[in-house]
Amino acid sequence: MSKRKRPDSNAPSDSLTDHERLIYDVIRSKQDMGIWTRDMKRELRVNLPDNIVTKSIKSLQNKSLIKEVVNIHSKGKKHLMAVEFEPSKEISGGAWYSEGSLDTEFIKVVKSQCLKQIIKLKVATLEGISDSIKRSGAFKVDLTKQQIEEIVRALVLDNQIMEVKSNGSGEFTNIPVGKVCYKNVSKGGGGGEPKTGSLASIPCGVCPQINICKPDGVISPKTCVYYTKWLDF
Amino acid sequence: MLTEYGTKHAVHVITNHFGDLVAKVCECLLRKGPLTRQNVKRYTELSDEQVKNALLVLIQQNCVQAFTTEQPDGFADGPKANTQYVVLFDNILHRVRFAKFLTILSQEFDQQCVELVQGLLEHGRLTLKQMFDRAKSSEKEGNLVDLDSLRETLVKLVTAHYVERCPASEPLLMPISEEEGPARKKGSKSAKKIGEPETIEQQVVEAALPMEAMRFSVVTNVESDVGEKEKNSNNVTPGEKRKHDVLELDECGVADEQSVVYRANFEGFIRRLRHKGCIDHVRAHLDDGAANVLSAMLQATSSAEKKVKTKNSVPLSLSSIYEEVIKSEAGRNMTLDHVRASLVQLGELSFVDASSDSYSIDFEKIIEIAQNEEVESVVSKRYGRDAYRIFRLLSKSGRLLETDKISDTTFVEKKDAPKILYKLWKDGYLLMEKLVVTGARQSQFLLWKVNRQILWKHVLDEMFHAALNLSLRVSYELDREKELLNLPADKRTGPLQDRYNRIRKVRILLESSQMKLDDAILLFHDF
Ligand code: SF4
Repeated sequence: MSKRKRPDSNAPSDSLTDHERLIYDVIRSKQDMGIWTRDMKRELRVNLPDNIVTKSIKSLQNKSLIKEVVNIHSKGKKHLMAVEFEPSKEISGGAWYSEGSLDTEFIKVVKSQCLKQIIKLKVATLEGISDSIKRSGAFKVDLTKQQIEEIVRALVLDNQIMEVKSNGSGEFTNIPVGKVCYKNVSKGGGGGEPKTGSLASIPCGVCPQINICKPDGVISPKTCVYYTKWLDF
Repeated sequence: MLTEYGTKHAVHVITNHFGDLVAKVCECLLRKGPLTRQNVKRYTELSDEQVKNALLVLIQQNCVQAFTTEQPDGFADGPKANTQYVVLFDNILHRVRFAKFLTILSQEFDQQCVELVQGLLEHGRLTLKQMFDRAKSSEKEGNLVDLDSLRETLVKLVTAHYVERCPASEPLLMPISEEEGPARKKGSKSAKKIGEPETIEQQVVEAALPMEAMRFSVVTNVESDVGEKEKNSNNVTPGEKRKHDVLELDECGVADEQSVVYRANFEGFIRRLRHKGCIDHVRAHLDDGAANVLSAMLQATSSAEKKVKTKNSVPLSLSSIYEEVIKSEAGRNMTLDHVRASLVQLGELSFVDASSDSYSIDFEKIIEIAQNEEVESVVSKRYGRDAYRIFRLLSKSGRLLETDKISDTTFVEKKDAPKILYKLWKDGYLLMEKLVVTGARQSQFLLWKVNRQILWKHVLDEMFHAALNLSLRVSYELDREKELLNLPADKRTGPLQDRYNRIRKVRILLESSQMKLDDAILLFHDF
């Protein structure tokens, strides 16, 4: 006999009202994507009054047939899903989200761990970083290679590390030629704060009004408050 | 294509240097393109005399070049030639860089050279005789100027390509025929990529340029005594703007010392500034060692550069690089291993291409990275860290990416990413495309992209805008404290002294910012 559960024949769902059955079917058909209450109502083939819908949802929840999940795209909107599903990555945001928000603390910790290992190793491949982190025992759970890769890519975008290709000699001695490696950005962009360029170091370079500022306009270099502040010696 | 603020900035520079009238003619040419004198008159509504004088000043100062075109299917009486004037935008920009040019010069040459070029920059164009008169008039006691040493100085500067002979006053611009391609007379120039579109400005400049050998040669006829006043020599005192003759100067006439006119070769200076910019960039990213190596490579290869925007230097072997490195004081204590290691570092960042033991500088890469950093820094300061990461992602990938994908890769909250992207798009930093997918339910995706070409033009325009604003603010601040600045030092007491100190600091900050901003304009416009 198949071990697969057949929710249809589950005891609680047998005792559903017609309305509950209609609603439950729509929600369950969405599998791990779930559905927003308003959309669900639209998909019902019959027009049910709001209070009936609300009551039915309550009852389905009480019977532990559906649950409410957080959709990262629309927090605050009631998003429903059949209990046997786990929210897909599109809904939950994946490993870096918790409770529908980006888990910035966690990301920060992983970033700094990766950076630490890269600095320690001088030149590191993804596998190298991954192993090194595992050995350090910094995390209770093992991070997947994909997670490390995502973090490393973000560090490159942060300009804290850079991507280089191994040439097989010098500091790359143990790395096959052509393999992508990562190195700490030693100077220039070091510390992740980009070096302030010439344009960015004057008021106009960072000015939100530059598109409306005219030599003789209401906003003009003569009357400009950013300049006045800048030149306040 | 000129941007709006590029034009405004250029007009402002000309107004500051030569007044409203000249600026009016200049603006007319900037906005309308090449025009005949008649048309300039029509558009500016100035008198014939005014237009003529303004054009003469602009030509004398190398900001306008005259040319003629042959009307292809002329009238019965043969092709009709008419003189047109084209404004040289780049040369107008160079006017704010004179101090930089002189600094370069003073690092390589003696004071006499600097003074000679200073005269050329001030007057635009001079003959040897005029240079001599000028030197004479500012002669200090015990430091007599003689013609021979001045001529020697000139030869030195011409050989170094910092001074050149003036171009033809009115070259003939051939209509470009389909089969033959543009008619070119100079060998070095025909190496240019076929199909690369040229502006009229570039075509005219090229047509006016003397042949390489002539351009960098000094005519000497020592027999005739130049010191002696001759009947036909122009008696203009130095200091006066020389605007005689420039229109009538004969290109292939007798090359006699009296009539050959020289000017500063801006290209030579810009090339040096480009090199300097590359060295500074390498120093900021790596270290002094790498900067020394790059500088030595430049030293050894720069004479082979044919134009300012060279892509790669000619390849050099390790030993020839080393030989050059130890010639300089800074590189003398570098070992061969150290040089090799620096070359590896330079290669890692793609600043130098290494192949089978020869090395070549990748100018384009160095400049591209420097440009990226300049733009990224604006994005970071104006829109914040998340925007910085998003921008770098799009800029590196160079293709369309979807909002969700962007927020995932950059770790920016789903609800924040669209807001940031929208802001960047609204300010002209990104392109947006809508993608509508019609499935069971119609859904719409937004895709975003950095288009370097469009963005760079936009950023350059912002730089010109900022340069204009800086300049306007300088004049405003100085104007406000005009009386105070004219006060003798002993009258400045108490609060007056405080105000004086303030305006001094303001001036230093604003003027140094102008110079720095111009470095960025050089980076985006000239390099
Ligand atoms: S002058 Fe002032 S308002 Fe105008 S662009 Fe510059 S900083 Fe902005």
